[in-house]
Amino acid sequence: MSKCWHCGGDRQPADPICPSCGKVQPPPAAEVRLDKFALLEVEPGFDAPEGLDDKFRALSRKLHPDRFARASSQERRFSLEQTTLLNDAYRTLKDPVRRAEHLLALRGVSGEVRMAPDFLEETLDDREKLLEAKESGQPLEALAQGVREKRDQTLAEVRALVNAGGELSRAAELLARMKYYARYLDEVEARAAEI
Amino acid sequence: MALLQISEPGESHVKEACATAAVGIDLGTTNSLVAIVLGDEKPRALPVDEGSNLLPSVVHYGRGGGPGSVIVGRAARRLAAEFPRDTIVSVKRFMGRSAADPETRRLSPYQFAEGESGVVRFVVDSTRTVNPVEVSAEILRALRNRAEERLGIKVQQAVITVPAYFDDAQRQATKEAGRLAGLEVLRLLNEPTAAALAYGLDKRSQGMFAVYDLGGGTFDISVLQLQDGVFEVKSVGGDSALGGDDFDRALAERLLGAGPRTPQTVRVAIDAAKAAKEQLTTAQSVQALGQTVTRSELEAAIQPLIEKTGNACRRALRDAGVADGKGLAPQGAPNGGASGAAITLDGVILVGGSTRVPAVRRFVREVFGLEPLADIDPDEVVALGAAVQANLLTAETPQHDVLLLDVAPLSLGLETMGGLVEKLILRNTTIPANATQEFTTFADGQNGMDIHVLQGERELVPDCRSLARFTLGGIPALPAGLARVAVTFQVDADGILSVTAKEQLTGVSQSITVKPSHGLTDEEIERMLLASIEHAEEDVQARLLIDNRVEAQRILKAVEQQMQANGDLLSPGERAQIEATVGEVRAATAGTDHHFIHQQIERLDQVSAEFAKRVMDRGIERALKGHSVGEFDQGEISAHAQKAYSAQDSGAGRDD
Repeated sequence: MSKCWHCGGDRQPADPICPSCGKVQPPPAAEVRLDKFALLEVEPGFDAPEGLDDKFRALSRKLHPDRFARASSQERRFSLEQTTLLNDAYRTLKDPVRRAEHLLALRGVSGEVRMAPDFLEETLDDREKLLEAKESGQPLEALAQGVREKRDQTLAEVRALVNAGGELSRAAELLARMKYYARYLDEVEARAAEI
Repeated sequence: MALLQISEPGESHVKEACATAAVGIDLGTTNSLVAIVLGDEKPRALPVDEGSNLLPSVVHYGRGGGPGSVIVGRAARRLAAEFPRDTIVSVKRFMGRSAADPETRRLSPYQFAEGESGVVRFVVDSTRTVNPVEVSAEILRALRNRAEERLGIKVQQAVITVPAYFDDAQRQATKEAGRLAGLEVLRLLNEPTAAALAYGLDKRSQGMFAVYDLGGGTFDISVLQLQDGVFEVKSVGGDSALGGDDFDRALAERLLGAGPRTPQTVRVAIDAAKAAKEQLTTAQSVQALGQTVTRSELEAAIQPLIEKTGNACRRALRDAGVADGKGLAPQGAPNGGASGAAITLDGVILVGGSTRVPAVRRFVREVFGLEPLADIDPDEVVALGAAVQANLLTAETPQHDVLLLDVAPLSLGLETMGGLVEKLILRNTTIPANATQEFTTFADGQNGMDIHVLQGERELVPDCRSLARFTLGGIPALPAGLARVAVTFQVDADGILSVTAKEQLTGVSQSITVKPSHGLTDEEIERMLLASIEHAEEDVQARLLIDNRVEAQRILKAVEQQMQANGDLLSPGERAQIEATVGEVRAATAGTDHHFIHQQIERLDQVSAEFAKRVMDRGIERALKGHSVGEFDQGEISAHAQKAYSAQDSGAGRDD
């Protein structure tokens, strides 16, 4: 429990607004692991949380610095910091991969992930094909589509593991693969933009 | 009031009940505006220059107004052809840019001086040097003074708009200019967001909108979602060095051809090109500097420039997850196969004078697959939105209960080993935002770390904009890779960045608000602030004196020209009377009594009124003989003729 700086009432350390007096609160200390689902008042889960956009807009209306332009410098600072946290939480929860990572972190899975050797081999293979196609000027769309399918499959697997309470370290490893897919697709897209 | 349009209808100093003295300012490349929300009214722009709401962003130093003087607006623009080097036009293009920037090296009549910090400096009024921040501050000060005169109250706070695609240096420079003009800058607001605010409130719309903003010198594209009173910017893109000025230059290059290029011929060609471009919005063919220019020739000259906006539009749509004009859904986000249900756009809003060019509208229709909206004056819409935001930020009970959520236009990052850029905050991240990244030492016993802050989308350091460099010292001597330095970026609601670096073991930390590498040194800012205080204390009388002197000169010139061209319309007595009054006006301008100069100008106006009427009648007669004028009544003819006549005298010296 923390105390509100203004009315002295009790509040949760992560509460952005005092439940008693409605004043904006300082953000929690850096050591406190922030539950971004709780901050946005939505159900934690793998799938896109229901009502996320509405919650974000409603909280922005309460916390945004524009609402504190006439307030004390302390309140303005709290508002800036709370809105920064809110924006970050929303960004995390909007993105399927980051949302899943955050969910795993809340369930205690974090730290370096060791990638499976066969996945790394497959990645090298894919990249080699991409390079060849680029050099010979072949269209890249078919290759990109293949990688997109693998990405969506992998994400579906993560979903199954998370929702069924499966092996979370395996889910973390699968999730780490998303970065490789994303980079691959970025390169295809950069190429498309050049043309 | 035939020859001289001195008094402006409706220009009486109205004292108005004011909810707030906070205004919205659109500091534009070509024109600047000031708008305000009064009481429970809609936002409105204030007349600030000869009865018009548009103040041309033109500043004239010395020459025409006498040494040491400063003239802003139309009066300054009229002096541009005669004194091209002393008259700074489109200064916004130079904001936050270095002297070496290719943008500052384009076709222009100016004389530059080198500054210690690489900032652009113009040499004006023989020996005076001014930088773009100072020039912009003159425009802001003129807007502020004229708004105060108009409203009869002090104006001390403002929301100033900037192109969404302005980088950190350009934003800082704009804020600095506001400070120099004695304004508390409540917020830097992105222009397209301001426009959307004005539109959204007017139409009470919901949905996804694109704002296509092509001004005099900048191009912006923003995609926003309007929902439940929240205006959420989804993505922005653009080019802070592309605008209608480039259209003018493209056409001016053609008009100049292989002919001589002096500051005068360049200024005249650019002005002629601008006029031709504007006329070609409705006409199919016009004369410019004795050459015929058709609309299709103009379009051929500017098409490559218009096309340049297309990539930014498509990228902004993709970033926002919106389908483009061909109905193509963006591919990318892993959303579990939901890509079939791409969001579509509900409207495209046109902002900026350059969107009047028919070829631009055609292009917008094609890219977005929608008929664009332009029912709020594209010149005023940004200032109106800024006024709403100023009201939102200062009023006890704001007029509208809305909130703007804006984004960082460009990615922000740090230089890492090998000259690569590590991005900490990606473009289109909702602000305020922060990000922290840990770095480590690469040499044993290393006790300092260079932090180089960059802005841009490219991978390599030289391809991005360098914002700042600083060194974090006092790192404990440890083997390579053991010391850990956390670098935190914080972007505030103005889009301005501050950076903190902290060594994790010792807690040694250092933080800075980013001062742009190409920006002004502290000494320069101090000098400018001191100068601005002196300037602010200058008597208002001085400005009135300059204004009246310039006005007198303009009128003397016009009268003399008409005496030469149409002197045969006067009896010897009439001629003598006009000549005597001309002499009196001239004598008055040598003195320092602005009331007296004004009186003499009015006398000359009365004395020459009959002459003016005869000149007009002759003009009409000639016109009627030469052309079929069509059927309009006599009253309308004389109104037209009168307008043409005064346009002619103000343009004297340019068309011949």
